[in-house]
Amino acid sequence: MAEEFEPKIIAFLCKWCSSAGSDLAGVSRMKYPPNVVPITVMCSGSVSPLYIFNAFQKGADGVLVSGCHPGDCHYIQGNFYARRRIALVKELIEYIGLEPQRFKMSWVSAAEGKKYTQIIQEFVQELKPLGPQKKLRREK
Amino acid sequence: MVNLEEIKKEAKKILEEGKVKYIIGYAKSSNALMAAPTFVKKPEDIDKLIWDPTCFQNLVKFLIDEKRKKAREKEPDTRPIGIFVKGCDSRAINVLLQEKFITREDVYIMGLSCEDVGVLDKKKIFKKLKGEKPEKIEFDQRKNIVISTKEKTIKIPLKEILAERCLECTSSFPVISDVFWGDRNNRSPKEPFKCLEQIESLSQEEKWDFWQQQLSKCIRCYACRSVCPMCYCDECVVDSINLAITADTTAEEKAQKIKWIEKSPESSENFGYHLVRAMHLAGRCIDCSECERVCPVDIPIRFLNKKLEKVTKELFDYKAGLDPEQPSLVSSFKDEDPEDFIR
Amino acid sequence: MKKRTGVFVCHCGINIAGTVDVKNVAEELMKHSNVAHSEDYVYMCSDPGQKLIENSIKEHSLDSVVIACCSPNLHETTFRNCAKAAGINEFQCEIANIREQCSWVHKDKLKATEKAKKITHSTVERVVKNKSLEPISIPVTRRGLVIGGGIAGIQAALDMANSGYEVVLVEKSPSIGGHMIQLSETFPTLDCSQCILTPKMVEVSKHPKIKLLTYSEVQEITGYVGNFKAKILKKPTYVDPTKCTLCDECIDVCPIVVPNEFDLGLTGRKAIYIPFPQAIPATFTLDIANCPGLLPIACGKCMDVCEPEAINYDMKPEIIEEEIGSIVLATGYDLYDKENMKEYGYGKYADVLDGLQFERLLSASGPTMGEVLRPSDHKVPKEVVFIQCVGSRDPELHCAYCSKICCMYTAKHAMLYKHHVPDGQAYIFYIDIRSGGKDYEEFVQRAKEEDGLVYLRGKVSKIFEENGKITVWGADTLAGKDIEINADMVVLATAMRPAKGAEEFAKKLKISLDKDGFLSEAHPKLKPVESVTSGLFFAGAAQAPKDIPEAVAQASGAASKAIIILSQDQLFHSPMVAKVSLNLCTGCGMCVDVCPYDSLSLKDNKAEVNEVLCEGCGTCSATCLRAAIEVKNITPVQIYEMIDASVGG
Repeated sequence: MAEEFEPKIIAFLCKWCSSAGSDLAGVSRMKYPPNVVPITVMCSGSVSPLYIFNAFQKGADGVLVSGCHPGDCHYIQGNFYARRRIALVKELIEYIGLEPQRFKMSWVSAAEGKKYTQIIQEFVQELKPLGPQKKLRREK
Repeated sequence: MVNLEEIKKEAKKILEEGKVKYIIGYAKSSNALMAAPTFVKKPEDIDKLIWDPTCFQNLVKFLIDEKRKKAREKEPDTRPIGIFVKGCDSRAINVLLQEKFITREDVYIMGLSCEDVGVLDKKKIFKKLKGEKPEKIEFDQRKNIVISTKEKTIKIPLKEILAERCLECTSSFPVISDVFWGDRNNRSPKEPFKCLEQIESLSQEEKWDFWQQQLSKCIRCYACRSVCPMCYCDECVVDSINLAITADTTAEEKAQKIKWIEKSPESSENFGYHLVRAMHLAGRCIDCSECERVCPVDIPIRFLNKKLEKVTKELFDYKAGLDPEQPSLVSSFKDEDPEDFIR
Repeated sequence: MKKRTGVFVCHCGINIAGTVDVKNVAEELMKHSNVAHSEDYVYMCSDPGQKLIENSIKEHSLDSVVIACCSPNLHETTFRNCAKAAGINEFQCEIANIREQCSWVHKDKLKATEKAKKITHSTVERVVKNKSLEPISIPVTRRGLVIGGGIAGIQAALDMANSGYEVVLVEKSPSIGGHMIQLSETFPTLDCSQCILTPKMVEVSKHPKIKLLTYSEVQEITGYVGNFKAKILKKPTYVDPTKCTLCDECIDVCPIVVPNEFDLGLTGRKAIYIPFPQAIPATFTLDIANCPGLLPIACGKCMDVCEPEAINYDMKPEIIEEEIGSIVLATGYDLYDKENMKEYGYGKYADVLDGLQFERLLSASGPTMGEVLRPSDHKVPKEVVFIQCVGSRDPELHCAYCSKICCMYTAKHAMLYKHHVPDGQAYIFYIDIRSGGKDYEEFVQRAKEEDGLVYLRGKVSKIFEENGKITVWGADTLAGKDIEINADMVVLATAMRPAKGAEEFAKKLKISLDKDGFLSEAHPKLKPVESVTSGLFFAGAAQAPKDIPEAVAQASGAASKAIIILSQDQLFHSPMVAKVSLNLCTGCGMCVDVCPYDSLSLKDNKAEVNEVLCEGCGTCSATCLRAAIEVKNITPVQIYEMIDASVGG
């Protein structure tokens, strides 16, 4: 029997909220699938579209960008710039025919370990039926 | 109606007065369907200037070359450059002003209204001519184009061979100028983003097939980038030429200089290039369609930029190049920006 | 030169090793071309663990280390100090979080181990490209600023001044004292609020280290921790406090009567007034908004009668600039707006009061000299309904949060009412009784048992006036029946909101607020008085609803944090700041637009970073179209490599 497809997810997490929220999920011993590898950044506003495209090129099956809730940004407004930028990326990659499910943005606060857990669980479930992301993946 | 003689009169006057360093305008070229950019430096040369629907090039790109040249000169001539702009081109000037690439004093803007016409799409005409070479063209009442080839003379209604962007243009006159010719009638096409409908109505896999087919043609000649008035970076992020290397860059770092996109024209890299370019033009592209015009392999690049123009309008009520004082799309936000896509 | 990185994988007992094959992670990383040494150990954070790292750094001539262990929020400082002790730059140490973000959230050992390898590998890629950085040193102006002169601000200012530092205390109204000075008696001890607060107010006014600026507003704060500049607007009072003898002559002649803020509109005051007899500073203020006019002089009666010639119509607004090192923000609270509570007849019926108005009725110095009388007809109310959670704990219509102090003050109100009107009856509608706090539960029990208060668990559905009575329809959910009370007076325990204008003020100062508009602390547990802007601290109800002892405790906490800054000769700022590649920068200024700290500016058509202002958020870097700006030690090149390692094979 063929092994079930395990999607690879790269999660760009804001250090102050979502990364801390995922820490809380750990502290609370919540469980989610190990398909996600977090990269902690200083602010969701620092996530360049280049990072997102690059993750897909390197073979990520899904990419998550997660920041602080509006008004709650550690750097006051970085997440507002992120929101605009990410909206453009999202529209663009859907327009070129990449499955929209493969790219997500979320607001996860330092207190929302549960929400982070749910997001990863859902993300993995949504990605499994899609199979590997080959469209933007670089041939090796 | 724009009167060519009046244009020439003004051009002559400012050259004689020494008000401008030179004038960038349009002149006839060996190709009957395409006006060539011309640099008029002396008053006696002004008769070269023309103004008709063959003037489709965006001359603003030359301001970038001019800025670079000026930076290299020891004692540069600081007089402004006279430049002829159409509605779309003028918005490019506004973006350059907005991004402080040029200052208002660098340019003497000579605005030309396209009025109810626009400019030609060469590719559409070639299709009509079925391979025959045009020898001579004339415009009849600004309604038709009369093209003579060796064999015959044909008359085509202008609207059949105008550039797509002209058919969807919402402001066919310059939004910034020092002198201006023609009328300032706003056009209001019913569906300014009609061209996108066909792609938007495709299923996700069909979209992918379409773009896969189109972008796999790309040979990465970068003609789109070279012609684009907004692509003025000294070093393109997708094509590092290592300008960023400084005294404290180690040899190892130099060797490992980041390559976001590989140079080879493979599908993943072509997608990478075009996605990054589209993102970098969001809120900046003024739809002059020069990129698509110069593409040697006919990639419909305009559909990428136009899509983000539409998204930008719909989500953020933002249109590029209308006001040099407005903040850039991605360096501003509104509290009410949509976030329904965020979990 | 190639880096020589050391990788140290912690077991954390079985916390990590139970789910992750730590030996395998260490072995795998050893294969990396930059890794010169790799090992695992049961507790890296223990003393022997730290010794092990130090020794390995020396023994293997390591120039950088990755510790794969718990969240960097916990032991990053421990391990950076450890790296420093072994002689390498502290910024050459990075943490790979394989506990909270890996071992604790997964069960499958094989998969968790693979993930731990990727996380550790990704961190190695980062550290390999880390630069050695030195903290940026900045000088300190050794003066403090306290904004808000309520109990929290007073306490913070006194603590700072008593530690020997000069303090500027700014209060927007004519006197310090805040809401506490309006209160009658305080729970659970029932000491008189004014009696315990006025000594502190006097101490403020007499303190040689405190510069008190009342009737003043902070308009702008620029600069950064240790080096702030505040622009303060001092509004003209038109009365020279050094000459005013408090003779009251001016009040007698002033023709204008307006609602008295201090009594929440239960009484009136003149346009020239002293807010209350013990006001600090003890002087009159001419309220220009209500004065018939000075330019030209429309009335002039107060000046005519003022014998000491204290009144000066030529007084102008003054801008005072102060240089300070740290700031305590204590802007306090206001009660939920009347407009929002129309369903309770608040603002419509004279005998429906809010908690603060009732405090004034109870107060010995209040409009009724401490007698409880109905505002409408000055009769003694025989039946009073107290309603808790008015606007609080109502996520659908009002505020989702609990205002915290209302259970206690309602018990106090009802109890004091019974002391004043022993034959009266007090009813209290409540959702829950929250009486956590020293002696608080005992206080509520005493109120119930000794004073015979009737507690009704349920909400009020309707309030209306009928035959001079206020009819309250509600439900007693415990007894399961509807209740109708024909009351003489209703007292609403309205929600606490951030002080009016606090939101605009926070925006101006670039302080982040939480979803309810309260000041947002840097960490909900470990940094409860710190804002995310360093050098700026919070005290009192501006941060969240709280009672007096809590506000005082937080004020002392905030003061001590502010003093930590003032007591240093110099401060150190993280060197993880933005850096511009001048060759790539085109001077478009987008980075300048997005920088939340104004740390970027254009100089000669290139972006320039003011390193002491930069907090390293990196929004500039993602915005820049030319990749001409990046944050040190978390650069795009590093992210690029981290993505590679994180995706893996």
